[in-house]
Amino acid sequence: MTEYRTEEYQINMGPHHPSTHGVCRLLLTMDGEKVIKVEPYIGYLHRSIEKICENRTYQMCIPILDRFEYVTAMSCNYVFSLASERLAAIEVPERAEYLRVIMLELNRIASHLIFFGTTAMDIGALTPFLYALREREMIMDLFEMTCGQRLTYNYIRIGGVSKDIQEEFIPKCREAIKIIDDKVEEYKRLLNGNPIWKARTIGVGKLDPDLAIAYGASGPILRASGVSYDLRRDDPYSIYDRFDYNIPTYKNGDVYDRYMIRLDEIQESCKIVSQALDSMPEGEIQAKVRPRFMPPEGEVYTRIENSRGEMGVYLRSNGTNKPLRLKARGGSYAHLQLLPEISTNCLIADLVAIFASFDIIMPEIDR
Amino acid sequence: MTRDELKTYLDSNYSDKIRPLDTGRYDLIYEINAENLFSFAKAIAEDENLKFDYICNIGGSDTGENLEAVYSVASVSKKLRLDFKVILPYENPEIESVQKVWKGANWHEREMWELFGINIKNHNDLKCFLLPEDWNQGHPMRKDWDAPDFVRFPEL
Repeated sequence: MTEYRTEEYQINMGPHHPSTHGVCRLLLTMDGEKVIKVEPYIGYLHRSIEKICENRTYQMCIPILDRFEYVTAMSCNYVFSLASERLAAIEVPERAEYLRVIMLELNRIASHLIFFGTTAMDIGALTPFLYALREREMIMDLFEMTCGQRLTYNYIRIGGVSKDIQEEFIPKCREAIKIIDDKVEEYKRLLNGNPIWKARTIGVGKLDPDLAIAYGASGPILRASGVSYDLRRDDPYSIYDRFDYNIPTYKNGDVYDRYMIRLDEIQESCKIVSQALDSMPEGEIQAKVRPRFMPPEGEVYTRIENSRGEMGVYLRSNGTNKPLRLKARGGSYAHLQLLPEISTNCLIADLVAIFASFDIIMPEIDR
Repeated sequence: MTRDELKTYLDSNYSDKIRPLDTGRYDLIYEINAENLFSFAKAIAEDENLKFDYICNIGGSDTGENLEAVYSVASVSKKLRLDFKVILPYENPEIESVQKVWKGANWHEREMWELFGINIKNHNDLKCFLLPEDWNQGHPMRKDWDAPDFVRFPEL
């Protein structure tokens, strides 16, 4: 009898593949439908942000860093401003802190909505994408009303924020939060019980908590594996300690949990925004910062909880008006590194699901 | 453990390997010799009281006088943060890989090797990363490296 065997072969997934969310190239070694080995290749979106920032003043770095992670550009603005403020020991006015928290959390909701839509689309459900973008539009309108931009905001500045909110912002924001909070329940009804969705996600791409920590995974991915670690609570910054919210944690660490945790986080962020709107004081929105901002010599690594995990900036000052060194670290950098580890011996269709559940975006990795 | 307690603990237990620096503006920062790097990393990751099991960031840095490799680590269970750095000369800078301690160090080290020319000993996968495969024009993140069409921003 003839013996049949399959031969290993290599294929490229990307750089222009619809489910790689940008230009990531995965070199797959396949055995039939099974993935034997995954090798990520990055650098297709490299814009050399770090080198450019060394040649710009501190204020000029903020709009450049908007492009570092453009889905949550508020976080990029914030983490750099926070690092500069720590270097120069600047106190930020109360109202500015509240505005920052509101914007950061709205941006987190917008980012998780994108995750929800694109992940479902990658796995084969188109409706959630349309729903999610519809709800995200309300948040984009709020941002546009405040700072004139829909994607790259340049809103959070060193020492405060660039503009105060308009009068109609608060009622519109409350309305948006309420609608989104209700819609998340609808999303859950739409997908959670769907047998195809469950078959494609439950038990797929299991991530062990020890492995996740060893690779520096953070954010929703770490919490979906059962490690309750949220920088808003565990490495406190801004005024998050004044709000009452939960940090959702799941146990299994599969695609389904990584999806569920983000829907829960949208609802928690809604809670934070509505509390912040209730208790926001009147007052200044910008601390006194000299136009020629020159922090004293020193260095600091600052990290915040972004929707994709830990976003950090290492900032080094030599006492001039330009940073000596800026290194930006995004959550996806660790997560893409982790991908080969957990997607070996899975099916190629599952690889798409795992990749989508990590919510990787490439500008954050290539910089 | 608070920041001050951590400082006391590190100063009493690891003072033979590390020297405190006063440039840190928020978290603690220490200087360490290249030959002690791996053993120190392993020790703080395994120390029951510290458990620095999480690598945040490794960044190369060129100060104009020397090269530096800055490590930012954290402890997930103990909620601690620590920075430490190795100061290296421009001639043959070499450090040991800490991949065996923190697996996530892999790409950070590769990037540092490529952009700063800091050689990483015992790294399992040193190959081109952000730059093209046939790159032979030096290390772009060093201060003396400028792109061919680079225009320095005017002083303000």
